[in-house]
Amino acid sequence: MSDAEAAERFVDLVAPHLDEAFALAKWLTGNRADAEDVVQDACVRALGALSGGAVEKPRPWLLAITRNAAHTFLKRNRSRTVVASDDLEALESASLAEAGERPASPEEALIAAADSQAVEQAIRDLPSAYREVIVMRDINGLSYREISEAIEAPIGTVMSRLARGRAALIDKLGRRR
Amino acid sequence: MSDLERDDPRLLINAAIDGELDAAGAIGVERRLAEDPNLAKEHARLIAVQKALRGLPRERAPEALRARILAMAAPAPAQRAGVVAFRPRRRLAQLTALAASLALGVVIGAGGLSVLSLRDGAEVAEKAVVADYVRSRISGRPIDLASNDRHNVKPWLAGKVAVPTVVADLSAEGFILAGGRVDVVDNQPVATLVYQRREHMIDLTQTPARGEAASDPRREMVDGYALSRWTEAGRRFIAISDLPASELDVFVAAFRRAAAVEREDQPSATP
Repeated sequence: MSDAEAAERFVDLVAPHLDEAFALAKWLTGNRADAEDVVQDACVRALGALSGGAVEKPRPWLLAITRNAAHTFLKRNRSRTVVASDDLEALESASLAEAGERPASPEEALIAAADSQAVEQAIRDLPSAYREVIVMRDINGLSYREISEAIEAPIGTVMSRLARGRAALIDKLGRRR
Repeated sequence: MSDLERDDPRLLINAAIDGELDAAGAIGVERRLAEDPNLAKEHARLIAVQKALRGLPRERAPEALRARILAMAAPAPAQRAGVVAFRPRRRLAQLTALAASLALGVVIGAGGLSVLSLRDGAEVAEKAVVADYVRSRISGRPIDLASNDRHNVKPWLAGKVAVPTVVADLSAEGFILAGGRVDVVDNQPVATLVYQRREHMIDLTQTPARGEAASDPRREMVDGYALSRWTEAGRRFIAISDLPASELDVFVAAFRRAAAVEREDQPSATP
């Protein structure tokens, strides 16, 4: 493919999903300025990757690139804030059933009454491995299969991270004061 | 899925609220929810969380970032000469126009050139409207609030722009209200209604007339789009569409008729 063709396809593939890529980058980095850097870096990578071959599903493709760019960015700029993989394993091995059987489960109405500030803070407080699947699912609207492609993990992993992330959100939003 | 079901019903109800189960799986979940009140409560909490997340304001890539990224795709001048296809050129022209109008907006916004913006207000508005139309098509997200009910769209816009928006139901004429959007024209938030006809979209932007005299619709072609503008009842209206120009005229006429009827129905603002 020539550069001109790649450039033309780039606009077709990338432009429609720019808002979503930006939203994901913002949730992963925590602020808009860093998100801009990440999305720009991701688009440079995307443009480079285009000459490599066909892109069948542009949305998960771009979000996967954006996610990787965000991880690179975070590793380079603030390695301390990234959840260590040990922590993640500990999180994953905790029984989900236990989490669900806590003595007083919060009421659904309390969750429904949370304002967007509280919801945003609760998302920010999630471990990033949970945060990214929740953002991809509930904010970007990706299917399980698309998320699995974007984070390069089996669907079972997507499902358990989603379930645990949401349980943590329920906990957080249901116990606000 | 049977392993999951045995191990953890919570994974299953998550999959259910995400619409990821087939019919048989969905029936299985419904049965379990009916049998197990605790699970049903968890199901309700999950739906509440999902709703809260989906209700968050939509994030938009900043225009400057979008412009920078689209500029990466613009071929170098030497290559551009070799491009023969019509579409890329047209797209480039659109992007150039878009970038130009964005730049104009920045200049006026930054410089505070109120004299210029007053005199050329109409032109600035027109350029901004074209840019917004093109941008919303490129982004694939032409609507902030999707609703075909004008009683939803009108109050939503009322919370965001200064002047009440005239929203007309034109479904009888074949123009379906698709929703509303807030654009920025000359540094002011303004209301844009989005109507649909077949696969075409019509953006109708309303700005304060600022003392401009009432005028009948004047139609022109801008960057390949049909654009019509008129002023009445203290508002300047700009309609733009990829419809054939004659059909945009039909839309404008239908909208003005409906707006006139609405004005007559409303009690006078002053007691």
